[in-house]
Amino acid sequence: MESAEPEPSGSRPEEEEEEEEEEEEEEEEEDGALPAPEQPSAAMEDCLAKKMEITVSEAEKRTGRNAMNIQETYTAYLIETRAVESQSEGQCAPVESLWRRYSEFELLRNYLSVTYPHIVVPPLPEKRLSADNMDPDFVERRRIGLENFLLRVASHPVLCQDKIFYAFLMQEGGWKEMVNETGFQLKADSRLKALNATFRVKNPDKRFTELKHYSDELQSVISHLLRVRARVADRLYGVYKVHGNYGRVFSEWSAIEKEMGDGLQSAGHHMDVYAASIDDILEEEEHYADQLKEYLFYAEALRAVCRKHELMQYDLEMAAQDLTSKKQQCEELATGTVRTFSLKGMTSKLFGQETPEQREAKIKVLEEQIQEGEEQLKSKNLEGRDFVKSAWADIERFKEQKNHDLKEALISYAVMQISMCKKGIQVWTNAKECFSKM
Amino acid sequence: MSGGAASAPKPLPSSGPKSLREMPHPLATSSSEEMGPALTPSPDLLLPRSIADKDLSLPNGTPVDTSSPASSSSLLNRLQLDDDLDVETRDLFVTVDDPKKHVCTMETYITYRVTTKTTRAEFDLPEYSVRRRYQDFDWLRNKLEESQPTHLIPPLPEKFVVKGVVDRFSEEFVETRRKALDKFLKRITDHPVLSFNEHFNVFLTAKDLNAYKKQGMALLSKMGESVKYVTGGYKLRTRPLEFAAIGDYLDTFSLKLGTIDRIAQRIIKEQLEYLVELREYGPVYSTWGGLEVDLSEPLEGVSACIGNCCTALEELSEDMTEDFLPVLREYILYAESMKNVLKKRDQVQAEYEAKLEAVALKREDRPKVPADVEKCQDRVECFNADLKADMERWQNNKRQDFRQLLMGMADKNIQYYEKCLTAWESIIPLLQDKPETK
Repeated sequence: MESAEPEPSGSRPEEEEEEEEEEEEEEEEEDGALPAPEQPSAAMEDCLAKKMEITVSEAEKRTGRNAMNIQETYTAYLIETRAVESQSEGQCAPVESLWRRYSEFELLRNYLSVTYPHIVVPPLPEKRLSADNMDPDFVERRRIGLENFLLRVASHPVLCQDKIFYAFLMQEGGWKEMVNETGFQLKADSRLKALNATFRVKNPDKRFTELKHYSDELQSVISHLLRVRARVADRLYGVYKVHGNYGRVFSEWSAIEKEMGDGLQSAGHHMDVYAASIDDILEEEEHYADQLKEYLFYAEALRAVCRKHELMQYDLEMAAQDLTSKKQQCEELATGTVRTFSLKGMTSKLFGQETPEQREAKIKVLEEQIQEGEEQLKSKNLEGRDFVKSAWADIERFKEQKNHDLKEALISYAVMQISMCKKGIQVWTNAKECFSKM
Repeated sequence: MSGGAASAPKPLPSSGPKSLREMPHPLATSSSEEMGPALTPSPDLLLPRSIADKDLSLPNGTPVDTSSPASSSSLLNRLQLDDDLDVETRDLFVTVDDPKKHVCTMETYITYRVTTKTTRAEFDLPEYSVRRRYQDFDWLRNKLEESQPTHLIPPLPEKFVVKGVVDRFSEEFVETRRKALDKFLKRITDHPVLSFNEHFNVFLTAKDLNAYKKQGMALLSKMGESVKYVTGGYKLRTRPLEFAAIGDYLDTFSLKLGTIDRIAQRIIKEQLEYLVELREYGPVYSTWGGLEVDLSEPLEGVSACIGNCCTALEELSEDMTEDFLPVLREYILYAESMKNVLKKRDQVQAEYEAKLEAVALKREDRPKVPADVEKCQDRVECFNADLKADMERWQNNKRQDFRQLLMGMADKNIQYYEKCLTAWESIIPLLQDKPETK
């Protein structure tokens, strides 16, 4: 299979490129040759997720020794894969399975985000910092989150083709060594360097600045939303559970009533049902919260791409600056004028002029460096342009995915609310029926 | 003597039955001795009247209205409650409305308009409209309690003397109180005996109630006013089973109602806290919508939808506060009134038993029972009859009121859920249509 990464196609202005790209995609779609990143459904056709069923089916508590030879307890997750190509034949391919722990997922994701800086790499479920990492509810939610992560990667048009990812799914032993051999860690940029770039970059790409701003806002709004939602859920829980007290009192009260007794008793039962119904409702809502949380972490992934772009831009600017200063130096030597105050100028004034031969040699060196610098700048420019192009393609894909997912999440949330309302109406209608018989 | 008789009952309504039981013995015996002669003629005066009003009404051919409430109540049982069903048999209509605030130098208070429409012969005019303040209602209730000791007097809403805790002049407070006062008068109006009480008549008709209050002290004390069962001292050995059952019932009833009241208040509190969170929750979606292009509409939709749910919830809490809680309170107080009457009955019976015992000791040979003991027996029997009738009437009212109240609660909740359901259902198309149009 060919690479799905959009190939750099000349050095046209970016705007044009994008339009062109879309045209291309349409063609590609018709051909069915290349997956178009902007069309997730089309991309699915060729990606790993379509060829293979991937599940994280089980979690298991384990005890082992870590690198420092200290005993530790951890949870391992069973990844099961099964090829689905022979689907039409009705033949079931054998299920391959292997165990991985969270830290290995982390390594995979680190590898991916370093190796594919222009891609919005799907986030992992949160790393719980405190409390009990062995809590069964937590483990279960993490299991679902990890499975979701694998499916996200497997359905990504570029990431799904990564060999390391494939090995992660298929090859239990020696995988870590394989990852480390890629030397991806060398390519990783330090935080400090990134921070430096953020403050020093002179001409940031407006689109990426906006995107970065959007990521910040998205992160803050989703985290606010999640906090308030949790509080809303707590309060709602309270409202329902307090109704449960009616159940008991009605039942006790019914004991001393004659005509009213039966009605009260059964109404009390409905109040119990009402109070109990909130448990399922809120459990379902937790799923919605997890869906939102994924996008909270996606915001960080989005920012990582922006950060990478800033770094490249900074590199480019530094190279350009270096080139300019060299050119200036060269010009100074050639014309013999010193426009700006420099140490070199001072020494030449103090210790006498260089010989013309020395000057010629220096100019020659500088000219070589300038040429080299120009080459470098050109390649950096090209690299940057490629980066912008492929990053933007993936960002567009991400946006589509995000709009689609969130709309689905909102629909399912609304459906949850509807079912809650219907349950409420049902319970109160039943209770009313009981009351009316009093 | 008469002055003492008039002032004696005052602690009755305020400190309740305790004052009767906890009254020190020496004082109690002396007072009963003193009052003995004054009390003995009272049954002649009062009890036959109450009997005539009720039990003897039919044979005597006394006004139709006295018998009609009894028949109408049985009618009510069959026809399910509706206060207006027995309109045709009614001849006295009282409403409380139009609260007005009066600001004087000394005090600020609210008066309510009490409108009476009647065809009863006891009234000179077919229609009256007077203004009364809470104090006047309180006076009326005390008078009723004094002059109709064998009857269950409906409760007044609480006084809320603690200033600052409740804003006595707030619109909600005044309206809640108006409803309760209206209910109070309607309950008296519906009562076959109490509605003929002359204090009630004066309360409804007197231009200057204060003048009547003052002169009434002296005038009435000569007549039925002096008839009080402030006996004390006698201790009832055993309550007859049926009254013991009523007592037990009332104890449990108030206990359960107290619990329901607390639950209802707690639910309202939880709902209000839920509302606070929900009010913050909705706008977060709106903020998010501001960040998004494609998702803007769905997110705004969710935000608006949560807003609608807030409004519905607010209405629910308001309805529960205004309609549900006051009725619970009324019945809690009602049960207290009933307990008071029950205790008075016990006193009367105790007095009778004591006298009977004294007679038995003194004159073992003489089978004839003295006249005053016989009268005492009459009193007990009349009291028992009145109490049972009132209890039965109260039970019927209670059953109807609670059926209505609880059905109302169920209805309000159903309406709330229906409003939320409509809101959530209306945004589903907003969430779904988008991808289709794309």
